[in-house]
Amino acid sequence: MTQTIPAPALADSASQAPRGGDPANQAPRAAGERALDCFLAAGFERTEPPILHPAAIFLDMSGEEVRRRLFLTADAAGEELCLRPEYTIPVCRAYLASDKAGGIAEYSYLGPVFRARGTQGGEQTQTGLESFGRPDAEAADAEVFSLAMEAASAAGGAMLTARLGDAGLFDAVLDSLKIAEPWRRRLRRGVARGLSLEAIFIRPRLSALAQPGVLAALESADHAGAKALVEDLLAIAGIDSVGGRTASEIADRFLEQASLRSGPPIEAEKRAALDAFLSISGDPDEAAVALRRLAHSAGLNLSAALDAFERRNGFIAARGVAIEAVRFSAAFVRDFDYYTGFVFEAHDPQAPGARTALAGGRYDGLARRLGASEDIPAVGAAINLDRLMDGEKR
Amino acid sequence: MATGNGAEGPFVLAVPSKGRLQEAAYAFFARAGLEFVQGRGARDYRGAIAGLAGVEVAYVSSAEIVGLLAAGAAHFGVAGEDLLREKALNVEARFELLSPLGFGHANVVVAAPQAWIDVRTMADLDDVAQAFRARRGERMRVATKYVDLTRRFFAEHGIADYRIVESLGATEGAPASGAAELIVDITTTGATLAANALKPLDDGTILRSQATLIASLAAPWGPNARQSARAILARIAASEEARQSREVRARLPREAHQLVETAIERFGAVSAIGEGPDSHGFVALHCARDKVADLAGWLLAKGAERVSVAALEQTFAARNALYEALERRIGAA
Repeated sequence: MTQTIPAPALADSASQAPRGGDPANQAPRAAGERALDCFLAAGFERTEPPILHPAAIFLDMSGEEVRRRLFLTADAAGEELCLRPEYTIPVCRAYLASDKAGGIAEYSYLGPVFRARGTQGGEQTQTGLESFGRPDAEAADAEVFSLAMEAASAAGGAMLTARLGDAGLFDAVLDSLKIAEPWRRRLRRGVARGLSLEAIFIRPRLSALAQPGVLAALESADHAGAKALVEDLLAIAGIDSVGGRTASEIADRFLEQASLRSGPPIEAEKRAALDAFLSISGDPDEAAVALRRLAHSAGLNLSAALDAFERRNGFIAARGVAIEAVRFSAAFVRDFDYYTGFVFEAHDPQAPGARTALAGGRYDGLARRLGASEDIPAVGAAINLDRLMDGEKR
Repeated sequence: MATGNGAEGPFVLAVPSKGRLQEAAYAFFARAGLEFVQGRGARDYRGAIAGLAGVEVAYVSSAEIVGLLAAGAAHFGVAGEDLLREKALNVEARFELLSPLGFGHANVVVAAPQAWIDVRTMADLDDVAQAFRARRGERMRVATKYVDLTRRFFAEHGIADYRIVESLGATEGAPASGAAELIVDITTTGATLAANALKPLDDGTILRSQATLIASLAAPWGPNARQSARAILARIAASEEARQSREVRARLPREAHQLVETAIERFGAVSAIGEGPDSHGFVALHCARDKVADLAGWLLAKGAERVSVAALEQTFAARNALYEALERRIGAA
């Protein structure tokens, strides 16, 4: 299933002659070739994964919202297929199907991705790189990030400014504060969506339950007893697991709503520590100092995560990325659960409102979501050449 | 969009050929004096309107009506707003919703199992959807035929952790059969939902729909089409207005000009015989049904001996507001 071919015939002919469609893709293509050369020189083998994939994979990873951006079709058996809207999942699938699966493999790519964009056409050119299986995570993070920044600059686009984040640090803070589910999940998702702590803590409270009598009675019982009572009530009503949730899950959340009536979900000092953590941003080295200071003052055990953070910063600096082009933000987390650590994105600071032209991160969880038996270390980056060159035109 | 050389096709009015909307639609047009004449047999899918040349009535399924309107193959069509908004993009730019027809009322709602006693709002649903996914690694499934409406509504509420399972019939059975956890479906009384142990969410009403007379802006609007549209809309307006009003007649002791003006202001009435004074004190007013008694009482107080009230069949007016709304969108001829 892997089609790792040194010089794909499709891509080559495309770079020389206009394809049926879009002469507007010529400039991004040429820029993409220059970017790709950086990846090839660093030993990232070029790959060209299939264009058609089961649509369910992308819908499952990114949610129904992407459906309106997908170009959908179906095979003879009725399975819903789509043109690839990006490269990471296709490259990861090809890697998992290859004999290198589970081992170290590093790939680069250049070609079209397909996303419906209203009347603006649907084909965009992307280049990028993916690294699988390397145990030296921070070195791999730094290499992929700095290669992507170099390649964007070699492509001839505008100078980009990058924002870095670290989901590993955030997880370590949540661990250290002993924040348990469901608040852990709500915090991760809420922060990823850019919500304030205020909004995150208010949101599940919106439902004013209409049975204050029941809730008051439950509040006075101990948790196990109350839960047994609610489960029994559901069982009496003949409800077992209607709608895919068990009586136990429903009872848990019902009781949680009851407990929210009586007090805040998280102690004030924990919330203050979270607030302080999420507001840390700036130069990565200064951020590291601020994080160590916070860990000390709030009594958080972040040493392993902070060591990794500093190691990565060191590798990035050693690769010569201009420090003024990089900013760390503790609140920068992605809303995809397979992103497990380092994340980054970059845009043209000269163009107000410019959209992200380069993005990537560590996604150790993706392989398992795609069917592997365990997590596989993986980090990658993609450059949207149309957006990159848009900045150039301005 | 005038057709150049007189090769203008017929004006096409698309109406439902079956289902709950069919009879109500026929009755609505009949009330407006627009009697459908079937084609050669009951199985013929094209018909005409008695006494209105150049109009072709297309009997098609509700879903096809939206398709015909979108393609400009029909000028007018009768369809539920739910269907229009589900099947067509850019509804505001491509169609003119001329008039709600007062039947076919139904809401498109998000419904969850009644057993979910912890779920009442979309915010609850968001939280439950996230937990569902965290626990199972799969997204919660929503069975619906309203794929686009659902996606837009869920996006507005920031809900991402769900999958749509397209359902073409008996959607309300999906949770019980294990095909989905939730549904988005159309409901009139909620009885079907309740029978399937489902409940609509408090803020889960996506659309309040009813049968609507829709004009296609993409259809060819030549002179004949405009004339047909004007005639149809004049009759609909005439019967709708007549249905909602009564004629109130009386003779006042003296010339009644001043009083008529006051009645118009106070009761929202219109004078049936013009604004000018009548030297014998005759007044004839059209006023909304629910204001008739008040108006009659007021006229008696002003010295009328007798006030007679009569139902109206049709009231044609020089101003055709429905057609004017259409003309604003398709441009003057």
